[in-house]
Amino acid sequence: MPEIEGYRVVPLRMSPDAKNCHSVYMREHFIRLMDPNKPKGRTLFLLNVPPYVTEESLQTFFKTAGNVESVLFAEKPGRDETTKWYEGMDVPFSNAQTPFKFKVAYVVFQKSSSIGRALAIQSLDLYNSSGECIIKTGMELWHEEYEKNFMLDVAKTQTEIDAYMAAYDKSERAALAAAKASEADPNGWVTVGKEGRNAGFEQKESVIGRIESKMQKDKKTKELKNFYTFQIRESKMQNIVELRQKYEEDKRKIELLKQSRRFRPF
Amino acid sequence: MLDATAIVTSSDDGFHEPSQSPAQKRKAQAAKGEGKPKKFKTTEASVKPPTLEEIKELRDTRNLFHSNLFKLQVKEMLEELQLKPKYSSYIDSFLETFTTAVQELENALLDTCQLEVPLHLRKENLNFKFVTPTSAPMLIGAAATGTLMGPKFVADVALEMPAACFQKDDHLNMIYDQKRALYLATMASKLKRLTEFASIQFAYNYHANNPLKPVLELTPAGKMGKHLSIRLFITAPEQIFKLNRFVPSNNNIRPSLFGDEWKQGQTLPPTPHYNANVLFDLTLAQNQQLLLDSFADRRNFQDGLLLLKVWLRQRQLDIGYSGFSAHILAAYIVYLKQQRLLHQSSSSYQVARTVWNQLANSDWTQGITLAQEQPQQLSMLAGHYDVCFMDVTGYYNLCANLPLAVYKAVCAEAKLAVELLNDMKVNSFTHIFMQKSPLYTRMDNMLKITQPGSVDQLLQLHLQPDVKYDYANNSHPQLLKLLTELLEKGLGQRVHAILPVELPTTPWSVDSQAPVIGRCLQLGLILDPEHAYEVLDKGPATNEDAAGAAEFRRFWGEKSELRRFQDGSITESVVWAAATDPPSQKRLIVRQIVLYLLEHQLQMEASDVQYLGAELDIVHSLTPSFKVAKLQTKLQLKQDTDAEALTPHVIHCYDALARQLHSLEDLPLDIVTISGISPIFRYCEPQPLLPQARLVADRMHANQLLHVIIQLGSSGKWPNELGALRSLKTAFLIQIGKQLKAQHRLHWQLAKEGLLLLKQGYCFLLELAHTKELALLKQQQTERGITTYVDNPASRELERRQYILPRVNGGLHALYQMHGAFGATVLIAKRWLATQLLDNGLWPDMATELLVAHLFQQRQMPHTTASPQTGFIRFLQLLAHTDWNAELFLLNFNNSWTEQQISDLGHSFRSDRQSYPLLCLATAYDQQHAGRLWTSDECPSKPVLARVTLLARHALQLIETRLLSQRLTFVRPAHLFMPSGEGYDLVIQLKPDLVSNTLCYDLGSPFVQFSQRNFRLPQAGSDQLARIVEQLRAAYSDFAAFFYNPHGGKELAIVWRPASEFAPKAFKVNELQACTPCSGGKVQVSRDILLEDFKLLLKDFYLRVCTPEQLKRERREHTEPKRYFNRPAEDDTSKPQKKRKKQKNAPQTDSKKRLIKSKSLSALC
Repeated sequence: MPEIEGYRVVPLRMSPDAKNCHSVYMREHFIRLMDPNKPKGRTLFLLNVPPYVTEESLQTFFKTAGNVESVLFAEKPGRDETTKWYEGMDVPFSNAQTPFKFKVAYVVFQKSSSIGRALAIQSLDLYNSSGECIIKTGMELWHEEYEKNFMLDVAKTQTEIDAYMAAYDKSERAALAAAKASEADPNGWVTVGKEGRNAGFEQKESVIGRIESKMQKDKKTKELKNFYTFQIRESKMQNIVELRQKYEEDKRKIELLKQSRRFRPF
Repeated sequence: MLDATAIVTSSDDGFHEPSQSPAQKRKAQAAKGEGKPKKFKTTEASVKPPTLEEIKELRDTRNLFHSNLFKLQVKEMLEELQLKPKYSSYIDSFLETFTTAVQELENALLDTCQLEVPLHLRKENLNFKFVTPTSAPMLIGAAATGTLMGPKFVADVALEMPAACFQKDDHLNMIYDQKRALYLATMASKLKRLTEFASIQFAYNYHANNPLKPVLELTPAGKMGKHLSIRLFITAPEQIFKLNRFVPSNNNIRPSLFGDEWKQGQTLPPTPHYNANVLFDLTLAQNQQLLLDSFADRRNFQDGLLLLKVWLRQRQLDIGYSGFSAHILAAYIVYLKQQRLLHQSSSSYQVARTVWNQLANSDWTQGITLAQEQPQQLSMLAGHYDVCFMDVTGYYNLCANLPLAVYKAVCAEAKLAVELLNDMKVNSFTHIFMQKSPLYTRMDNMLKITQPGSVDQLLQLHLQPDVKYDYANNSHPQLLKLLTELLEKGLGQRVHAILPVELPTTPWSVDSQAPVIGRCLQLGLILDPEHAYEVLDKGPATNEDAAGAAEFRRFWGEKSELRRFQDGSITESVVWAAATDPPSQKRLIVRQIVLYLLEHQLQMEASDVQYLGAELDIVHSLTPSFKVAKLQTKLQLKQDTDAEALTPHVIHCYDALARQLHSLEDLPLDIVTISGISPIFRYCEPQPLLPQARLVADRMHANQLLHVIIQLGSSGKWPNELGALRSLKTAFLIQIGKQLKAQHRLHWQLAKEGLLLLKQGYCFLLELAHTKELALLKQQQTERGITTYVDNPASRELERRQYILPRVNGGLHALYQMHGAFGATVLIAKRWLATQLLDNGLWPDMATELLVAHLFQQRQMPHTTASPQTGFIRFLQLLAHTDWNAELFLLNFNNSWTEQQISDLGHSFRSDRQSYPLLCLATAYDQQHAGRLWTSDECPSKPVLARVTLLARHALQLIETRLLSQRLTFVRPAHLFMPSGEGYDLVIQLKPDLVSNTLCYDLGSPFVQFSQRNFRLPQAGSDQLARIVEQLRAAYSDFAAFFYNPHGGKELAIVWRPASEFAPKAFKVNELQACTPCSGGKVQVSRDILLEDFKLLLKDFYLRVCTPEQLKRERREHTEPKRYFNRPAEDDTSKPQKKRKKQKNAPQTDSKKRLIKSKSLSALC
């Protein structure tokens, strides 16, 4: 199989007799700033992975080259792209889905020796020994989607919720207790809660904004306006300046409109 | 802006002596300025003291125009309208040549047999002798007053017949008109022989569709002739007849002329309209002089008249015999000047504004006059005419031919113009001057009587001879009078106005015979939505007004019945429909009445006339192939129902559900608000929704999900983490579901998006909204550790769906209650877009709804329409002629945007256009997202917008020609609601049994035959095809565009992106999507591979992939050739080809023809 710019090019076959196949470009993953999730020497980098390819299917396929630790996708190579790809997926009961796009994949093997084997493959075959595609498609996929992702099983969901809420309550309680104790954490920070003696005001933009605007207002009420003659004169002058400005602005607007020839009624 | 105005007006006094005040200021400054000298210097440098002129101009702008922008826009438009010097010089030189040529003509005895006289009268031996004109020809009308207006300039020249041509009794029996026509014909033949006029084209035309007023149209050769033509009027000197002979009460056409007998001694019927016709010629010189006195060398008056003419022309109220001509406007300006309402130095804008203001409150039915001394009492004159505006002589009524309804319509328009001018919130300039709004788009219904047989029948059997004499046997005004009188009596307050819709006559060659005109009538009905669809016409009570009751009975014939009402009265009354009938049925009431009256009073069958009103409403009716009878439901449903009629059932069910939810017990928190957000809750769902949803094998099956948003009572205990909040929400939904099951025995299931509920055959999806979720989504921490709330796509989507959409839903629902036609208009519009293969992913459904709402909200026309079909035409008009780049559509529900906010938004929109989507919509409920919430850059994208514009123009063209044509019948729904099949690269046919048919009346697809219909219910919420297309678009929109009909379309049409996308390119890691290596180390995208992907994604759904040509060939083989070819060729309307920006969407020329000629398909429906 050909190579291009240091990438090995292999066809991605969905069935044994597939003719028109996508080309997947792969090489060992190597950049200066390494991501701990994509360790050096053990990660295979794949370019141009079609949208319908799933993590599981790649994992299954690359088992032939060695045990696969994980498969990660991203829209394009780069830092934080993978986190962006999976953004929002960890929140329960959200509708977040990974984008359906052409993507890049990182296959992390358990052993670095697997990389060589993986790079030696002739084609990326996403079908099993009986020639069936290992990616679910068509009605099968849609049915599964509907049953698993659209509909929820009540009993199961309820237990999930209970578990999640229990964990959440626990962490909340812990945070609250820490706040009450007002003890410095290892870095020397003290959590200041809403309760307690030292409760500061909430560090919210709106709260701060309100305080600041109040301060400004106070300042303004002390100021006298249109009191001295010069102030009156100035405000009048300001007025003329404004009028002129508006006139000029309108003129400019008209120039713009003129360019689009919008004064011909017929 | 408002503040500035207020300050300026309040400080006006300060500007009265501008020369003094700056001086005073300076003194004061010198006295006090020592404290901060530096600051003053800088301001002094930047602000130069205003000059007197500047202040005056700025103030003028404020006071005379309502804003700078308006003034500048008017100025620019007037500049555009200015007659180019090449035309004016041509007119001048023409007049010169013409004058000399005329003077050299010789007297001659007329040789009648060689000439085609442009008049349809029995030729009599008149002993007519051509006499050389004694007075020089002169410019009249617009050319004389300097208000010629494009795009085609028509300069009118009048030539006086010498008095020697006339004899004593010529004023009688239309001898005058014959002589006039003969003179014109002689003149034409003589001029034609001259070498000076060799290059000029001669043609006759009628002035203002008046068969007694032929004019000679001279068109210069070459390019000049495209933009300019000269019309020659023949007039007569005033002295030839005494004007007294033509007072309205006199008769100048004797019954004997038409072979009728008249008893001796009986007074002859007056002929006021014919008299006015002659007076027009006789008084022309004097009236012209009066106009000249006011207009010559007064640019402000000329410009004012031009503005008014543009305004009138855009409204098409100046066309034809019954038009409100620009001449009347000019005379009215003079009148206002005489009345000292206009001053010589009034600005052009003041002229226009005063005219509108005065027109709006005017009443010309009592008569007004330009004459210093009116020879007759105005009240006496007014009795003979609908509208009375006497000229300078006091004899000629300028508005003799103007029907009352047209005058009223002009007044209404003027009133609207004043209101628009006063409304600072709208850009009135475009509304008043730039927007075309043809007359037919104002009509709710149209009645066309065009068959010669029926016209003859009306003229001969039902018209009084008096009327015939009065109009000198001109059929159009006679028909108009007959029918408007009848219909006005019959329809009463159901109509606002009954207006004639005329088309200008086309010129004919001087060698051919004059055409007969006016033997047809097109009446437009503007309905009053409040009363138009009342089911009952109540007559007078029998016991109180016996005569009235008898008259009522006579008028309505056997339709009239004696009825007893709940209030105890017993009256004659006519019932047209049952009160419980669906709205679409009620919309036919006016049609019913008109057709009944025509039959009962005028013996016209329905087939003799064309009544256009609700032809397109069928597209949202229930398809006949679905049998309602098989449906198991408690509701009383009819087979011939439609989406609109089915909606109330859904809303009732929703209301019942809301009550149940409100009364739900044993919930930790109460349900506080419940709001539906599906289009059906605002009457905007075009697919009929039947109560079909049911439980099959433990899964819910439904055609549509009805989305409902609920909110709970407030509580401080909601968690502060998104995951926990959502978990809790889901737990709540489970609780609600359980309680509903226990208390109301409703089936429920939990889905990821919410709670699925089954009630009375409808499937609801309950979503729980909580403000904290929105806050958590928006929440961000700045670097300083401050929590801020920033909009992001996820939060915007959530806010739109759960908070803004419910309110917009309410707003639109209220709009529907106010304008009953709103809902049905949206239905037709949505159906149209869907059948053009534009689904929600290409053109947002909300955009359609909001645009239509905008049509109903804005005050562009005096009356909002009561007919969905007209609403749809206006919608097409909007799509076809809007400059998307410049227009921001603002739906100001409850008027909650203030003027300041609107101008700020407009300012930001203009200055920062790129940051707004291509189609920009804003409502009163989404101020902080203004313009960016309902549409995005991708949806609709530029090519889609261009395509929609093109499709709308084409559809509009089709409708317009068919609507106004005298021969053709109205366009069939199948012509409009069938996409063009050309222009697509590939068609993927889907398996018919996997895609359910729509319940709408199906008009078929251009690609495939009607297959076995399949009304299988899909699983609730599993719109698989839409999802697949969504996936395809997400992944492959760089390479192809996908089109399908969301209403049960069984094929997916694909257009590849331009070839450049598929060309070999260099290897770049970030641009490697779908690329395969090709020669030379480059990569390229291959269509074959993409096609394999499409097939993979559509697995189990696709039947086959083929090209449109292939499908077309197959169709042709399939359909019986006989039927296909033997149809008579339809004349297709040639339409100006618009150049496409993107080749991608360009359907070829023949595709447009196809769109028109899809008759073989219409035959199938």
